Amino acid sequence: MKILVVDDEKNILKLYQVELEDEGYSVVTANSGKEGLEVFERENPDIVTLDILMPDLDGIQVLRLMKEKRPSVPIIMLTAYDYRDDFSVWVSDAYVVKSSDLTNLKATIKQLIKKTTT
Amino acid sequence: MNDTENTNGPSLLNDSETEVLQATKGQLNRLLVIFDLTKAIISAHDFRELLEKVSEETAKIFNAKGCMILFIEDGMLKIKAHYGFPAEIRDALTVNLGESFVGKVAVEGKPMLAQSPEDFGRLSQYIDIQTALCTPLKIGDQVIGTFGLYNKKNVDKDGNESIVPFTADDQAILEGFASIASIVIDKSLLYENALRKEKEALEAKQRFGDLWDHLQGFIENSADAIVTTDLEGVVVSWNIGAEKIYGYARNEAIGKYMPFIPDFLREVEKVYAERVKRGETIKDIETVRGTRGGTLLDVNLTLSPIKDPSGAVIGISGIARDITEKKRIEKDLISKNAVLSKLMMISSAMRGTLELNKLLRMVLTAVTMGDGLGFNRAMLFLLDETKNTLRGAVGVGPSSHEEAWEIWSRLTTEQKSLDSIMEEIERGPLRKDSFMDKLCCGVEVSMDNETVLTKAIKEKRAFNVTDVHAEPLSDPILIQQLGTLAYAVLPLVSRNKVIGVLWVDNIYTSRTITDLDMEFLKGFSDQMASAIENARLFEHVAQAEQELENIFESISDLVYFISSDYVIKNANKAVQSKLGKPLESIIGKKCYEVFHGIEAPWGKCPHHKTILTNKPFIEELEDPQLGGTFLVSTSPIFDKAGEVMGTVHIVRDISELKKLREKVANAERMAALGEMAAKVAHEIRNPLLSIGGFARRLEKRLAGDLKEYSKIIVDEVGRLEGILNDALSFVKSAPVNKTDFDLGEIIDSIITLFEPAVLGRGNRLTMEMAQPVKIHADYDRIKEVLINLVTNANEATERGNIIIRAYRQVLLSEADLLGHKARSFNVIVEIEDSGCGIKEENINRIFDPFFTTRTSGTGLGLSITKRIVEEHGGRIEVESNRGSGAKFKIYIPLQEG
Repeated sequence: MKILVVDDEKNILKLYQVELEDEGYSVVTANSGKEGLEVFERENPDIVTLDILMPDLDGIQVLRLMKEKRPSVPIIMLTAYDYRDDFSVWVSDAYVVKSSDLTNLKATIKQLIKKTTT
Repeated sequence: MNDTENTNGPSLLNDSETEVLQATKGQLNRLLVIFDLTKAIISAHDFRELLEKVSEETAKIFNAKGCMILFIEDGMLKIKAHYGFPAEIRDALTVNLGESFVGKVAVEGKPMLAQSPEDFGRLSQYIDIQTALCTPLKIGDQVIGTFGLYNKKNVDKDGNESIVPFTADDQAILEGFASIASIVIDKSLLYENALRKEKEALEAKQRFGDLWDHLQGFIENSADAIVTTDLEGVVVSWNIGAEKIYGYARNEAIGKYMPFIPDFLREVEKVYAERVKRGETIKDIETVRGTRGGTLLDVNLTLSPIKDPSGAVIGISGIARDITEKKRIEKDLISKNAVLSKLMMISSAMRGTLELNKLLRMVLTAVTMGDGLGFNRAMLFLLDETKNTLRGAVGVGPSSHEEAWEIWSRLTTEQKSLDSIMEEIERGPLRKDSFMDKLCCGVEVSMDNETVLTKAIKEKRAFNVTDVHAEPLSDPILIQQLGTLAYAVLPLVSRNKVIGVLWVDNIYTSRTITDLDMEFLKGFSDQMASAIENARLFEHVAQAEQELENIFESISDLVYFISSDYVIKNANKAVQSKLGKPLESIIGKKCYEVFHGIEAPWGKCPHHKTILTNKPFIEELEDPQLGGTFLVSTSPIFDKAGEVMGTVHIVRDISELKKLREKVANAERMAALGEMAAKVAHEIRNPLLSIGGFARRLEKRLAGDLKEYSKIIVDEVGRLEGILNDALSFVKSAPVNKTDFDLGEIIDSIITLFEPAVLGRGNRLTMEMAQPVKIHADYDRIKEVLINLVTNANEATERGNIIIRAYRQVLLSEADLLGHKARSFNVIVEIEDSGCGIKEENINRIFDPFFTTRTSGTGLGLSITKRIVEEHGGRIEVESNRGSGAKFKIYIPLQEG
């Protein structure tokens, strides 16, 4: 199971990578939206986590481009705060408020995998 | 008697023989005389001729120069026949009983020979009487007259004529003859009488026949309708007049019940019939009759009984004269003065009536009243200048012939006061909403149309349309809706401005509208117009007054007038409700007593400033007595002399406004603050995430002190993230996502969630809910609200009770148009604790963002709570006394059909 993590913060990428690898996933990372799209094409991930606030290409744009290419890949939006009133987020499969406690994120990933495999 | 044979014949017989012969001759002579007389009598044709004949023949037989027959009539003797006297004697002479020898004979009943001239009396004035013989005429013992002979002639051998006396023989013969004559006369008289009677009878018959023909002719040719019926009212005869007046041919009417009786008069007619059956003749009834064509005629009627020879009434004759025309003339001319005086009365009432509707009705009543102008129907159209149309305003008139009769017989100003007429108008068939009125109010004619109605307005001219089908401009709407066949319209002109038109017609009586009618209407319509205009102006003023009154009463600001000596003169409803007192206990009181409950004017009141300076003042005042902040304006009212007599106060409760203003300022402040906070929060979230995330990894892998230190990092980061989440969720709100759920569910989960924390402070958390409370709301947010409130309650309480209560409060709103009552509810959730309570000075601030009395926490919890409740259209209230706990009460409205 390959997860693509896209975030402009290198430390966060590192944290997510080790944490998710601990969970048994294979993790690929991208440090910007642009890079995220390249990796998405090249690595064919089964699931993507996407930060919203990024400099060059923000998470919402990336989300749209990825969904155009492979709509079946579940994408989890990571938000700095409650983004429920931003309609664009609704096209994603789930969103999780960023927190140092990754329990919520991990649970959401598990749920989505379960959904796609059944 | 002629004795010549006695003296001249040869004397061949002896004396005795001669004597016998003489006697026999005498007898024979007498018989001959009687025979001659009888012959004469028989040849006579009538009584008078008979008597004349008798007197002539008798004179000749007796050789007398004169004869006279007199009858006793009326106590004297009258000449009935004579011979040998001048003709004039018959009329000139009557003889009294006992006068002269004739009178004596009549009295004594015996014949008499008269020789002396004094015996003859006045008779000798006519002829020279020398000798006379008179005998009574008797029937039985009764003398009925006398029979007299005068101047007996004797001719000697030489042919010389001399007058000789009558002999006893003559007397005897006359006596016998008179007795026969008497009988003949008597019979003749009887016959004469019979004859006369028969003649009279024939003449009477003739006269009656003439009369009958005359009467028949009269009946046939009479202009009056003469109709006879049997006692049941079935027509027996029907003259030409009846055909002309009623329009039914003879053969259509005979054998039927009187066809001209209108249905509504049948009962009255029965009463008349009963009276006639009792033998009474009823003269000069003024009533109405229906024609074959359906119109009603005014008639003058005389009803008489028809009797059979025994006097029993067997039928009724009715003579009816069409007095429609007469009635009209009566109305137009004879009662002109009366009409004028009624109109004067009405028009004075009109001038005195300012209520437009009543006035219009009154006007039309005057137009249709029997002894008013007497039109059948009348309508008033008023000009609506804004819509450029003519609209029916009032209509008066019966809707059928029957109703017409009822109204006209009832509605007359005769011997009625103005009040009772007005009462008639309001209650009677002319009332508002009558058939005609409704019909009229539905009529609307565009002024762009070219019709009689609009022309009357445009040209300020009256029109008399005598035949709608002949008039190309006649109004189709009137023909269609009112069925009018002829009508007149008059413009109503007030101060040179046309305000409408008056419309009249005579649909029921079909009476032609004459020039005289039109003149009358014109005179009246001018008065009408100015009265209507006055009433309209008055109505405008009254309306404006009412509007002002309404504004005054309904304005939500307190408005009141105060005199210069601080006495309240008037106050609107808002004042009454603010003070919670009725108007009576406000007016006439001193304003400072009523409003401020003090004995002397309030120092801050702008009223006395206005009184002092004559200038208006506007001030914002805190009024502890009324409880709130008020914007007070006082404006001076001046009397005619320019002195200030008082002030108008307009007081607006701006407590809410003030709060709102503060809120807005607060919100602006918070928005700026929040935006900054969001930025900061976002900038620090990522580093915090890395710190916290790796610290968690370390915590898992380390042991002993290092593990503990790592945990400290993890906890602190968690706290910081919590603050960030609070701050950011305050700034950025999400839309409400409502679903239906039971509040019990949330409360249950909260009790479970808080169990450790509640127990940790020695508290007891319980739920009070009598029945399930369904709510339509955002589940997550309501849960957040309860978490916040329970958190606060738990932190404020130690070894106490926390109760969560939930229930529904039913609010009934007013019924809608269909009578359905929309039921609405408030769902109320109370969180009550027995903790330390809230300080009085803090109670108004606890919902402000960042306000907190705790050392920990963001101070955003309650403001987020309030925001969520408000997003649901609800409100949150708090009650608290320091030291005795607090109660938060959430109201969430819930509509239910």
